[in-house]
Amino acid sequence: MVPEEIWILIETFLFPGFLFLFFLAFFTEWLDRKIVAKFQNRYGPLYVGPKGILQPIADFIKLLSKEDITPRMVDKIPFKLTPILLLTLAITPLFCIPILSSTALISFEGDLIAVMFIMSLTALLVFIGGWASTNRFSSIGSMRAALQLFAYEIPMNIVMIGPAITAGSLSISKIVDWQAHGVWNMFIQPIGFIVLIVCLMAHLQKVPFDIPEAESEIVSGWIVEFSGKKLALIRLAKNFEFVLASSLITSLFLGGPYGPLYISPIIFLAKFFLCVFILSNLRAAFARYRIDHLLTGAWKYLTPLALLQITLIKIWGI
Amino acid sequence: MTFEIPFGPQHPALEEPINFMFEIDEERVVNVKLRLGYVHRGIEKIAESRNYQQLVYLSERICGICSFAHTLCYSQSVEELLGLEVPERAKFIRTILAEMERIQNHYLWLGLTAKEMGFETLFMYAWRDREIIIRMLDMISGKRVNYGVNTIGGVRRDITESMIGRIEESLKHLEVRAEYYTKVCTKDPLILRRTVGVGVLRPREARALCAVGPTARASGIAHDIRADDPYAAYGEIPFKVVTYRGCDVASRMYVRIDEIKESIKIIRYALKNMPDGPIRVRVPILMKVPKGEAVSRVEAPRGENLHFLKSNGSDKPERWKIRAPTLANLSSLCRMLIGINLADIPVVIAGIDPCIACAERVVLIDSKRDKWKIWNGKDLWRYANEWYRKKYGF
Amino acid sequence: MFKNLKEKPVTLQFPYEREEPVEGVRAKVSWEIDKCIGCRRCVIICPGNAIELIGRGRQAEIKYNVGRCLFCGECIDVCPTGTIYATKEFELVFNNRREMITHFRRKRKTKTS
Repeated sequence: MVPEEIWILIETFLFPGFLFLFFLAFFTEWLDRKIVAKFQNRYGPLYVGPKGILQPIADFIKLLSKEDITPRMVDKIPFKLTPILLLTLAITPLFCIPILSSTALISFEGDLIAVMFIMSLTALLVFIGGWASTNRFSSIGSMRAALQLFAYEIPMNIVMIGPAITAGSLSISKIVDWQAHGVWNMFIQPIGFIVLIVCLMAHLQKVPFDIPEAESEIVSGWIVEFSGKKLALIRLAKNFEFVLASSLITSLFLGGPYGPLYISPIIFLAKFFLCVFILSNLRAAFARYRIDHLLTGAWKYLTPLALLQITLIKIWGI
Repeated sequence: MTFEIPFGPQHPALEEPINFMFEIDEERVVNVKLRLGYVHRGIEKIAESRNYQQLVYLSERICGICSFAHTLCYSQSVEELLGLEVPERAKFIRTILAEMERIQNHYLWLGLTAKEMGFETLFMYAWRDREIIIRMLDMISGKRVNYGVNTIGGVRRDITESMIGRIEESLKHLEVRAEYYTKVCTKDPLILRRTVGVGVLRPREARALCAVGPTARASGIAHDIRADDPYAAYGEIPFKVVTYRGCDVASRMYVRIDEIKESIKIIRYALKNMPDGPIRVRVPILMKVPKGEAVSRVEAPRGENLHFLKSNGSDKPERWKIRAPTLANLSSLCRMLIGINLADIPVVIAGIDPCIACAERVVLIDSKRDKWKIWNGKDLWRYANEWYRKKYGF
Repeated sequence: MFKNLKEKPVTLQFPYEREEPVEGVRAKVSWEIDKCIGCRRCVIICPGNAIELIGRGRQAEIKYNVGRCLFCGECIDVCPTGTIYATKEFELVFNNRREMITHFRRKRKTKTS
């Protein structure tokens, strides 16, 4: 009999802990690049590893080995802390998502609120990171990130509470449990599903909402001063956020690791990759919005739809 | 609080180096200052030490994308000085190649504007279609860009029967794709949001600031050298000058896509009615061009291209002045950029189709009196007007 | 847009896949030096000053600098004896500048007495 502590150690570090999440993040980035490339009629990564799977790892290692330049006029402490904090805050909520069984590694009442809070902190860190690197382009990028925060944060939080209301609990594991005995939330709350996808694309800063790091306008926005190790960590943090977003959609709306017959991490992965496919598809299909379009659109359409969803839940008493 | 943002010379949005200094006041542009000269290569100075035949190839390399328009303009000015009459077939071949270059340029522009808007997928699609026309140009001339087909006295390569079949096939394909892009650009709400009402240039301002090309035609001014002052075979081919009244970037997009369709029609007509005959008139290599001056204008894909050539009887020209269309559009650009959002800057700059390599400063060196002065547009305009008045006697 | 998923990607994976150069492609030119009569027409016409003639008349030898060549093909058109001909080599990569210059020498006539 394996003692409890060793089992916990394996779960934390190997599966579904750090090692698994690292590989999942790299694999997700590869998948995203391949899907977008296929839509655009070109090859994605090709040469590194079979079909280019090792490309994100190669990029990460290459960035780690590059020179790390700190400009003279930056605020040193926020500048140096931002990548590390970003990475930490991106990995932490992933422990609250149930992958292996119906309870996650960390689950308590209210962990949904904790996850939402950490996601907002991530966006705030973008602002701080861009502001601390005192560069004209980063200041514009970080101001845009803060404005974007205004636009999507409220609808996203409202819509994430929707499944909690129907399940009667604020713990992601319990929501997943509830869906197993009932119907997947995607079918009862379709508006919420769509609004969540849109808001998550804004949170992840992906096209059509990649305004803070608009490539052709302000040369990589708030990331522009980070180089070398810091850039490697920031990109890894972005990949983890992508994983977090897809896993959130999977757990809250698609039923997590519960399949029609049994419960298994493979089913979780299948649904996860479906979400990745949807998000990459949307990324390839759209141009970039302007920041004022995003703000007016979000307040005109997203927030009322989110509120509508909540009222519908209350009215139908599901 | 206004702060200044430098845009360029190195920037992912620009293909060529140019420096704008924008003064921004909370996402709105208040003022813009322009600095040129990063691609100055001294072409007009080199021209004073090469003979006329070599200069055909130098004129090609003024710009990689509108290279045929520059060689056409230059050859026409030399032919005018020599009094040469180009054979009919050569005129038709020149027309066909000029229109193919126009199609290629407009597809490139469509992809670039889509990229500025963040729409990478449309960029990839437009450039994939551009490959088709580039392959046709490769088949005719042997090169994908800078096709050395034009020469003084005609063209150097012929369009044979087997080529005509393949050109027809690719034209059919391109027409379908142009229809698709019209549909996308008029219906897609995101493209419409980003381009309608952005970068407005009123017709009165366009006339005052001498806008040329699709930039002017999108403000309703029907100014097209192919119709006003026909050169090559344009006098015999019926076509429509495309104008729109929108005055913004969206209208410029529609003008260019419609011009693609018009070019396809022109090429088809020219291929059908091409006369037989020689394709060039031979001139001696070290020809001595009689004394005189010539101005020739050509409708390059970006606008009106003007070359002024002055010869003094020897085998090297005395003065060669190039006024590229982008130079004329830059003042309109500065007017368009004031008052727009920061996010729209790349879209507006891409909207005039900038080719900074064509637009370079000029210093006029007067060897007789041993002093130099810079000619601006007004002097050239006055000079060219007087010259034409003397030549045609009015 | 979904139908594009089925289309093959357009990019060719150079150097594993390449497209054949078309007929009439402009690439490096070459000389059959025995036919040259030393008329200097190619030297005059070359826009990039890539050709240099050493000697005079029938004993002339040619130095051709690929680095300055524009691949315009004027020299082929203008040569009266057809000495210059076009090849299809377009992958011209050199490691130093000296390799770019090709010297076309004539075979020495041996004296018989």
